[in-house]
Amino acid sequence: MQNDNLQRRLLLDIPSGFLLLFFVLPLIALVVLSFWQTENYKIVREWTLLNYGTLATESAYITFFLRSLAMAVGVGVALVAISWPIAYYIVRYGGRYRTIFSLLLVIPFLSGEVLRLIALQGMLGPAGLVNGALIRMGAAPLRMIMYSNAASFIAFIYLYLPLVITTIYLSLINFDFRLAHAASACGANRFRVFTEVVWPLNLSGTVVGFMLAFIPTLSASLVPRFLGGPNGTLYGMSMAQQFGESGTWALGAAMGVVLFLFSAIALAILSFGVDLRRTGFTGLGRQ
Amino acid sequence: MRPHFSDAIIKWSLAAFLIIVFAFLYMPIVHILFASLSSRPNFPYPPEFNISSYIRLSTNTVYQSAFANSLILAACTSVLSTVLGFLATVGVLRFGGKRALFYAIFFAAPLFVSEILLGISSMALYYLLFELQGNMLTAIIANTVHCFSFSFLIMTAMLYKYDWRMNEAAVVCGASPLRSFIEVMLPITWPGMMGSLITAFVLSLNGLDVSFYLLGATPTMPAVAWGALRYGVKPELYALSTLINLVVFLLVIALLISVGLKGKAGRG
Repeated sequence: MQNDNLQRRLLLDIPSGFLLLFFVLPLIALVVLSFWQTENYKIVREWTLLNYGTLATESAYITFFLRSLAMAVGVGVALVAISWPIAYYIVRYGGRYRTIFSLLLVIPFLSGEVLRLIALQGMLGPAGLVNGALIRMGAAPLRMIMYSNAASFIAFIYLYLPLVITTIYLSLINFDFRLAHAASACGANRFRVFTEVVWPLNLSGTVVGFMLAFIPTLSASLVPRFLGGPNGTLYGMSMAQQFGESGTWALGAAMGVVLFLFSAIALAILSFGVDLRRTGFTGLGRQ
Repeated sequence: MRPHFSDAIIKWSLAAFLIIVFAFLYMPIVHILFASLSSRPNFPYPPEFNISSYIRLSTNTVYQSAFANSLILAACTSVLSTVLGFLATVGVLRFGGKRALFYAIFFAAPLFVSEILLGISSMALYYLLFELQGNMLTAIIANTVHCFSFSFLIMTAMLYKYDWRMNEAAVVCGASPLRSFIEVMLPITWPGMMGSLITAFVLSLNGLDVSFYLLGATPTMPAVAWGALRYGVKPELYALSTLINLVVFLLVIALLISVGLKGKAGRG
């Protein structure tokens, strides 16, 4: 019993302590910093709400934020809509090729954001594949996909698609399709089987997939900087600039807190709508 | 007859959609593979075979030192996050009890905080507490926080069905806990560990957001690539990107083969 307790403490407390020290504590530091001020690249340790006042009143920051929010919601919804049929096909009809399909998703995901953006630039840029082909065929290049919010949108879809498909795939592969057959045997048509059985029972996996795309999109800094063009500044990019060029760390920290709070609120709203038991979650503990 | 017919339509339209989406995912990768091998990187069709951009990459000392830094960072991060992730997995699955869900959510929480926030907040902490500009150690730690969640989830998925009584059986038969780990648990669970090592390694090798704020003046490969990107894409970057994709591809194939062999051996 003594030994068991010791093991338990080692196994659970070492990772917990690690996360508390290097994950929770930094976030607390960010919150503290957001209530201070930066003057001439120096941090002034006086409590103030000025940073949040600036963020709430200056129209540029409000525009950036609303644009980021719209982008993140759009990307999340589009990704769920694209990922569901893919994951469904792999689980239902993939057969023994399931593993290969799911590993094919891993390869683009692992090649890293910067390198994938370079690849995407080769496709979408002014001299890229799409416009190069259009020019060769004698057509005008598509202005829409060069340095615009549309280009950012495509890039976000490209970056997070493997992650969302994999999440929904993992949810569907643990789903018992006999339930769908039962509903259909009881006379439900395909649409009702989907809306009343398959979708609600995989909702928690879908929500996780949505959040895994929503959160990085909301605070993205690389994509808008590289592909967004003049009207594509997003909140995360502006935040990165506070820590880089402008040196206004405290304001940047306040922006970070805003991003964190909105991610947390989105997560709370979505998980409030999900009843874990109703979504087929059976718990982790198997004593 | 009718239901069969519409089933087939659904199946084939889903398959067509799948092919389109996978083409979308792989077209840029294949495009830069051709671009890296061509003397006309903008529109490399018809494909050529010209390795001059690879030669320029291999003689560029900036990339060499950055790549060495990235390797150190990625190796330390992958080992550290796999060890921590393994402890967390065993802790939650075996000793979690009523609080298993609470711990699982806590261990997965870094996934729900974007990398850039992780980088910025760690930088803020070290700066406020120690006036520290950031070095390799802080970068490894911050990357580990991010990769830890991936390691935890991968190993939890692999170990979820593991029968803990096997460890107890080994101990009852006289094995020390260490021996029961090496001889019973390790052979069964190593695909999960390999998956976690590979994922953490590649994620931290290629991640820019976390390292960027924590490394100070030490260049890493994605940081150099990002710097080069702002002055226009060069064929060397295509070559670098293709090489990384190739390594990832080989690692995944190796993992697939080893898991497949093990599955066959286990089943029959």
